[in-house]
Amino acid sequence: MAAAKKHVPIVKKRTARFNRHQSDRFKCVAPNWRKPKGIDNRVRRRFKGQAAMPKIGYGSNAKTRHLMPSGHKAFLVHRPAEIDVLLMHNRTFAAEIAHAVSSRKRVEIIARAKQLGVKVTNGKAKVTTES
Amino acid sequence: MATNFENMSTDLIWLCTRGNNSMLLKRKQAGGVTFSRDPLNLTNIHNRKYEGFIDTKAIGINPSARNPSALTLTTKNASAVNPSGAPSQPAKLHKTHHFPANTHNRQIYRQLIKETTKQGYRVDLRQEMIARASALRQAQRTKKPTPERKPRGRKALKLAAEGKRKA
Repeated sequence: MAAAKKHVPIVKKRTARFNRHQSDRFKCVAPNWRKPKGIDNRVRRRFKGQAAMPKIGYGSNAKTRHLMPSGHKAFLVHRPAEIDVLLMHNRTFAAEIAHAVSSRKRVEIIARAKQLGVKVTNGKAKVTTES
Repeated sequence: MATNFENMSTDLIWLCTRGNNSMLLKRKQAGGVTFSRDPLNLTNIHNRKYEGFIDTKAIGINPSARNPSALTLTTKNASAVNPSGAPSQPAKLHKTHHFPANTHNRQIYRQLIKETTKQGYRVDLRQEMIARASALRQAQRTKKPTPERKPRGRKALKLAAEGKRKA
């Protein structure tokens, strides 16, 4: 398995979720983010002590965007032949086997990935047995 | 309506097929990536320079169909391609050169350059060509089996305790 290319350190400016305003007060208000639109809304007007709203400044550095902690980007693979396109990119991309692939095909994909030096992110799923 | 393919330029074919064709692998992951499975594409990157099915001249390096541990260089026969780029004789389109499995790597690289770059054929792809040949040779080697993981921490203690009980 090839290690990822060197890259600038991955910095996540914020890892906490943005919760919808007042989702903590009412059961019927889900925490999924909705931008407050009301004329008097204190979160929208960014008053002191209010919940933070998502904005572009929280975005990741373009150089490290979509990178996994290993430094690879993920590429979804459905069948053994598809992994061959990663031959020249095994230091930037890692293969991720699609969820519906059978364990028989998974074994083939993993074997081919090993030959090509491609990292597989979910190489143990559905292949290893509980002992 | 009869289509006159001889009048179609490679640029037009590229414009028609760049958005979607049977060889593309499009993914929404990683901000949207597209790879190409074109056998005449040395890097599998989908763009005008690398896509071999588009051009009148293209290079492909792949494991041989008969022997997966050998390499095959594929180029396009100039005589089988119309000036516009459309293949006039599809059966004679590809010219192949086989490298048996026991050929030395450096010999392969030298021969590849002799067959293409030295003849002024796709000089721009020289580095990609050698890189792909090298990567393929690396992939054709038998790999060592992954060593089994030694258990650490609580699992290791548990195993040790079981061993003692048995002894």
